[in-house]
Amino acid sequence: MANPSRRPRRPLESPQRRRPNLVLRRRLLMVGLAVAFVLLGAGVFYRQVVETDFLQTEGERRYLRVAEIPARRGMISDRNGEPLAVSTPVETVWADPRKLVERLDVLPELARDLDLDPQALRERVLAKSERGFIYLKRRIDFDEARAVRELIAREHLAGVDFESEYRRFYPGAEVFGHVIGFTDIEDRGQEGIEFAHDAQLQSEPGLRRVIRDGRKRIVQEVEQLRPPRQGTDLVLSLDRRLQFLAYRELLAAVREHEAVGGTLVALDVDTGEVLAMVNQPGYNPNALRDGGSERRRNRCVTDVIEPGSTVKPLVVAAALERGLVTPTTEIDTEPGYFRVGRNLVRDVHDYGLLDVTGVLAKSSNVGVVKIAQMMEYADLWSLYDDLGFGHVTGIGFPGESPGNLRHYSDWRVFEHATLAFGYGLSVTTLQLAQAYATLAADGIKRPLTLLKREPGAVVPGTRVLSAETARAVRTMMEQVVSEKGTARRAAIAGYRVAGKTGTAKKAGPNGYAGRRYQAVFAGFAPAERPRLVMVVMIDEPHGRSYYAGVVAAPVFQKVMEGALRLFNVPPDNPPPSMLLSGRGGSAL
Amino acid sequence: MSVAARPVRNPRRRRERLAPFDHALLICVLGLLGFGLVMVASASMSIAESCCGTPFYYVIRHTIALLLGLVGGVLAYRLPLLWWERYGAWLFLFGIFALLVVLIPGLGHSVNGATRWIPLGPFNLQPSEFMKLFAVVYIAGYLVRHADAVANRLSGFIRPMILVGVAGALILMQPDFGTTAVMLATVMGMLFLGGVSVLPFVVLIAVVGAGLVALVFVSPYRMQRVTSFLDPFEDPFNTGYQLSQALIAFGRGEWLGVGLGNGIQKQFFLPEAHTDFLASVIGEEFGLLGTLVLVAAFVFVTWRAFAIGARAQAVGKAFAAHVAQGIGLWIGMQAFVNIGVNVGLLPTKGLTLPFLSYGSNSLIVACVAVGLLLRIDATVRLAQSEAGPRRGLKWVRA
Repeated sequence: MANPSRRPRRPLESPQRRRPNLVLRRRLLMVGLAVAFVLLGAGVFYRQVVETDFLQTEGERRYLRVAEIPARRGMISDRNGEPLAVSTPVETVWADPRKLVERLDVLPELARDLDLDPQALRERVLAKSERGFIYLKRRIDFDEARAVRELIAREHLAGVDFESEYRRFYPGAEVFGHVIGFTDIEDRGQEGIEFAHDAQLQSEPGLRRVIRDGRKRIVQEVEQLRPPRQGTDLVLSLDRRLQFLAYRELLAAVREHEAVGGTLVALDVDTGEVLAMVNQPGYNPNALRDGGSERRRNRCVTDVIEPGSTVKPLVVAAALERGLVTPTTEIDTEPGYFRVGRNLVRDVHDYGLLDVTGVLAKSSNVGVVKIAQMMEYADLWSLYDDLGFGHVTGIGFPGESPGNLRHYSDWRVFEHATLAFGYGLSVTTLQLAQAYATLAADGIKRPLTLLKREPGAVVPGTRVLSAETARAVRTMMEQVVSEKGTARRAAIAGYRVAGKTGTAKKAGPNGYAGRRYQAVFAGFAPAERPRLVMVVMIDEPHGRSYYAGVVAAPVFQKVMEGALRLFNVPPDNPPPSMLLSGRGGSAL
Repeated sequence: MSVAARPVRNPRRRRERLAPFDHALLICVLGLLGFGLVMVASASMSIAESCCGTPFYYVIRHTIALLLGLVGGVLAYRLPLLWWERYGAWLFLFGIFALLVVLIPGLGHSVNGATRWIPLGPFNLQPSEFMKLFAVVYIAGYLVRHADAVANRLSGFIRPMILVGVAGALILMQPDFGTTAVMLATVMGMLFLGGVSVLPFVVLIAVVGAGLVALVFVSPYRMQRVTSFLDPFEDPFNTGYQLSQALIAFGRGEWLGVGLGNGIQKQFFLPEAHTDFLASVIGEEFGLLGTLVLVAAFVFVTWRAFAIGARAQAVGKAFAAHVAQGIGLWIGMQAFVNIGVNVGLLPTKGLTLPFLSYGSNSLIVACVAVGLLLRIDATVRLAQSEAGPRRGLKWVRA
């Protein structure tokens, strides 16, 4: 760059002994500087062109990440679309321990805001101080997130940030807890419907490649690698209103009678849909699930009972079906007990001479055993078997028990007798409800479901009993709910109700010892053309009474009354006053 | 060569030329200042938003410093050269005093373990930045006053070195290795240009070089910096962190860059992106082209300063010549060291990029230096025009 020029050399100072060549020196220095800048340019060229691939790869290792696109798990709703399990976006707070170790002073406050143990948080941060990521707390609630945000702003806290996740929320809480179940922290179903239909409900988070800045915040999306797949919604057959009513009444009864538990299941006769399914004790799936499986079991499905007297209408149906008895056939129950082999079958009282209807109304063990003994073992077994005892219902609920019905080839004579009044076999309340639904549906057994069926669709079933038999048994069962029967308290004004009580002694480790009973009432309404079937079981009532007619029947009455109204079932037995007011309302 | 003939052909333009201005230099520097403001904005916005609540935190401060710098530059331009020559030694002593004040506990203001500032209300004075200019002015004056001694006696060479050595030691205690190195190198370059005999000069270079190397070995963190720059990816999360991030920025830039504002490395990967590592952000966002233009701009400023110095010497203004060359050396070397550090050519040290980096003291001093340079240019032009056209005039247009 130096333009060579001859320059007149001028003396700068006083006469000198030696004159340094200043121009040469300047040129030398400029050449030196020029070389330095050329080197600089070469260095820049090397980094930006030659080494660029390596450097970009190194860079991508630092800022390019594959991040999830959160996807929503399918919603579970009741038959009317009321949400029972919904995924709502919530925030998860995470930290970079490498940065957080420098601010150990704010940890106690951070722990307080997040409701964590300060000591444990401190240890966790110190233990992971080489790592770049830990979850501080996942799925925090709104107040916690706000408190942490304020803390970050106030303390200029680096290394604590949020990400969005979905949290499962159960509006039905305890009322639906047993049926719906819950998911784990990774949003996978653990129990109940959440578990049974996990594949359908499950969402698949999408993946995207993103650029994260040095604080690990996403600043740019590079590409979407996989779109998120949202979970499919699920509509249950349950009716939220009925479920709430059933839950309330069952809870009240369990409390009133100091029982250890109880279950209630209601079915739609025409479709086999489960309309309500509640249990006691319950738990809240939204809260910390520390109740243990004792509280979490959906006892309607997982626990078996000995059905006791509630099977008597089935025995009568089997005999009617074979023409062995008619409703008016007289059975002698005197003297209130009956020897079968070496054992004695007893009634509570000596009812004397009863017709078949009376046997059901009074729930005479002697009478029903005598009817059963008119039949072969196989006749009774095949009816029980056809009605589903000993088989899972196919409702698809996890942990469902098939109950226990021994094959008739193993029966002895006394076993045959006890099976007639509901001992020696075990069923779930759901199975019992299914058997009663078969009676209610004129002998057609329909598959049960917890999912809503297409409205108006005809649900195919299998015929187990003739329609005449089923109707005849239902008519007889109405007497149970009459003044003469054991379950007067199940009567509902305006409707004809049919049902059967069962008060079974509970078998313990030492046989049928102690005063431990299970009080069951199973029935349907309206009796003429039943729409709804309901089974109520109160487990170990310890109050003044343990009889099913006192303990279980009132629950049935209240819930069934509400259900009939909810489903707009017209009364089939309007009392005269109702008719009057209905017809002559304008005349009065 | 037609350039040299033009004044003769066009006397009116000749008069215009008298307007005492090196337009090219001024435009180049103004361009660098403006580009610096844009780049500081690009590099600092995300950091400013997270640390200080507003993305314009650094931009506002840089703009204020820029305005102060322009005022300082105009003042320096208006100040006669004689003033600088007369008070150069006093300025230097005042600078040493200020450096002492910095080191008094309770008075100095520390950032990241370095005590470099004197808090003056809203403004933090950084004497070491001014010291570079004062040293240039002082050495220039000394070279003029003691030209004979400088050229012929060892004492003439050692005396200024001792004073500058004191200043360097004070700066080193802050600690600020980079500024010390640039100041010492500038002074030595000036002495070399001023006619110091070669032998003691070589000895001094050896001694200073050895001293600097010894310093590197004495304090482990400098040793670490020196070794880590050779392969920053060996330990990219500790000692090599900053440099590896800077290199990644350059690598991402390729030929033409990712575009203004699109850089990623400034997003909390690269520390000091808006100050010492601004060149990396330029490299990422404007690529090789942008970086080479930047380098070329500094080459131009340096060359221009030397050219002004040469012309000053040609018209017998020795003091002006030494100052111009000193400023050229200083700015050129500081730019070289800064960019060299950014691309991993030199060990990592904290030095601003003149005219561009955030840092008000550095910016103001650079502006003052350019104002002084333009004054020298104007003075030389005046002297040349008084002496009549001569062959050397072609430097005006070069």
